[in-house]
Amino acid sequence: MRLFWELTKLSFQRQLTYRAALLAGLATNLFFGILRASVLVALYGTRTEVAGLSIRDAITYTALTQGIIAYLSIFGWYDLMNSIASGEVAADLLKPLSYFRFWLAQDLGRALVAFFLRGVTIMLLYRLIYDITLPHGIEQGLALTASLCLSWFVSFAWRFLVNLAAFWTPNAKGVGRFAFGIAWVLSGFFMPLRFFPAWFITLCNFTPFPSMVNTNIEIYLGLLTGAALWQALASQIFWAVGLTLLCQAILRSGVRHLVVQGG
Amino acid sequence: MITVNNLQKYFSINQRQQGWFGALRGLIKPTQTVVRAVDDISFTVQRGELVGYLGPNGAGKSTTIKMLTGLLVPSSGELQVNGAVPWREREKYVASIGAVFGQRTTLWWDLPVIESLKLLQHIYRIPEPRFRRNFAEFRELLELEPFLNSPVRSLSLGQRMRADLCAAMLHDPVLLFLDEPTIGLDVVAKQRIRQFIAHINQERSTTVLLTTHDLSDVEKLCKRVMIIDHGRLLFDGALQTLQDRFGGKRELVVDLAEAYPTVVVEGAEVLAHNGLRVTYQFDRKVVSASELIGRVSAQYRIVDLSVREPEIEATVRRIYEERLLDREPATKGGRGSGA
Repeated sequence: MRLFWELTKLSFQRQLTYRAALLAGLATNLFFGILRASVLVALYGTRTEVAGLSIRDAITYTALTQGIIAYLSIFGWYDLMNSIASGEVAADLLKPLSYFRFWLAQDLGRALVAFFLRGVTIMLLYRLIYDITLPHGIEQGLALTASLCLSWFVSFAWRFLVNLAAFWTPNAKGVGRFAFGIAWVLSGFFMPLRFFPAWFITLCNFTPFPSMVNTNIEIYLGLLTGAALWQALASQIFWAVGLTLLCQAILRSGVRHLVVQGG
Repeated sequence: MITVNNLQKYFSINQRQQGWFGALRGLIKPTQTVVRAVDDISFTVQRGELVGYLGPNGAGKSTTIKMLTGLLVPSSGELQVNGAVPWREREKYVASIGAVFGQRTTLWWDLPVIESLKLLQHIYRIPEPRFRRNFAEFRELLELEPFLNSPVRSLSLGQRMRADLCAAMLHDPVLLFLDEPTIGLDVVAKQRIRQFIAHINQERSTTVLLTTHDLSDVEKLCKRVMIIDHGRLLFDGALQTLQDRFGGKRELVVDLAEAYPTVVVEGAEVLAHNGLRVTYQFDRKVVSASELIGRVSAQYRIVDLSVREPEIEATVRRIYEERLLDREPATKGGRGSGA
């Protein structure tokens, strides 16, 4: 456990050194957030509510999704792939550590920085521009905290799994783009899942993707209460465990398949 | 410590075909060629040995090391190191070994050296007193002090190698793999690293397997040498045996007291004759050095003389080029002699 926190701490410190990237990321997230909010406002027209979302909720939705981009690496994460392609993986496999936990710890450090410096900041900036919904009550706060943590874990496991493709093909970026693109839509990042037809939502619920973004949003907006809330959290736990097991199994066969280039 | 039996590793490589049509065909039905990187190798290494593993580029050295360190799974054959099958229990196994790859670092690129080493302390769960003791010793031996706080990416190659060596030894491994540890280093840096390797082998009886291109590494460090080429083990034995059997011709340089019109001696060839200095070339199988000196001094008045042994480098180059060892099975003559 000590090692886990050391790795997290190092990754956290490393992230903090990228100041220019942080500012650029914030500006981009905010710009596109306002753009998306404006589009939604235009689409709402004279209607005050669509699929249970008020116009205020819709604007808040764009704030939440823009704020979560960096935290969950929504636009993709290729670090592990790159390390396999470059052969750096060899140095890590020569050390007595669990490869999954090694990356998990580092991603946690990265995610913590992203959550506070990108996510929370975006929400505050939005608050200056729009009248966005704020969560209230202890129960909702706790549920939201749990959901945010779980969504990070599910998202990490998914990204890790996708990156393992690099053990089999030297050009796994294509696999990555496809996989992350799918997650974009099915997670509810692109549009609130509630806006889609019922059959599509059912389909999404058979995948881990709503556990990454949609659950956070629905809890934040207070759309999930009681049994539905517990069910959503249980589903997140299910995917966290399931994907982790899958990662471990595929990692094991990937390492056996490993061809370290050169040298 | 290491037992290897009939070890083999094949790689299938997609063959790129020429032209438009070939490229298309390659997309649909790739042509694969099998490369036998390691082809039926057997050897054993005893505890405390320092063995040189030699071979030209692409001979299979690194592939062997990668299998021994658990990075690659063998295609067939048996492999046991320190009582474990490396790839099967990777996490447990790698805790007992150290490895340094000259071509790439095992440290973290953007961390200061000292931070990397402290992280390794946690990774290998090294108790604080042991860490402090080892670190103090290696810090001095490898002269790490000047760059302890520099990030690894800013180190010179020699500094990086020293930091990597320290990193590989902190957890007291019983076995150390060194894959071309002196590659690209200057003479002074090489010397320092060789001293360190000799030190840990003697003082800590760490078993060392050293791959290298640099024959002076082997000459200075290893009693036993294994030569691999085209995936096969060509020679396994004492360095001296190699020299005796395959060493080229020796040279005798003589400074004469007066000029002679001819300086011919039986059993040797005159390689050069410049004024008072004559260089003879002779074969150890035909005449011994003392015999030849006797003959020369019987015929001419001599001021000074010296015998030049053929360089080990030339010997090994001849082995590679003329494939001298190809037709015979790996020589087992010197097995275990370095133990």
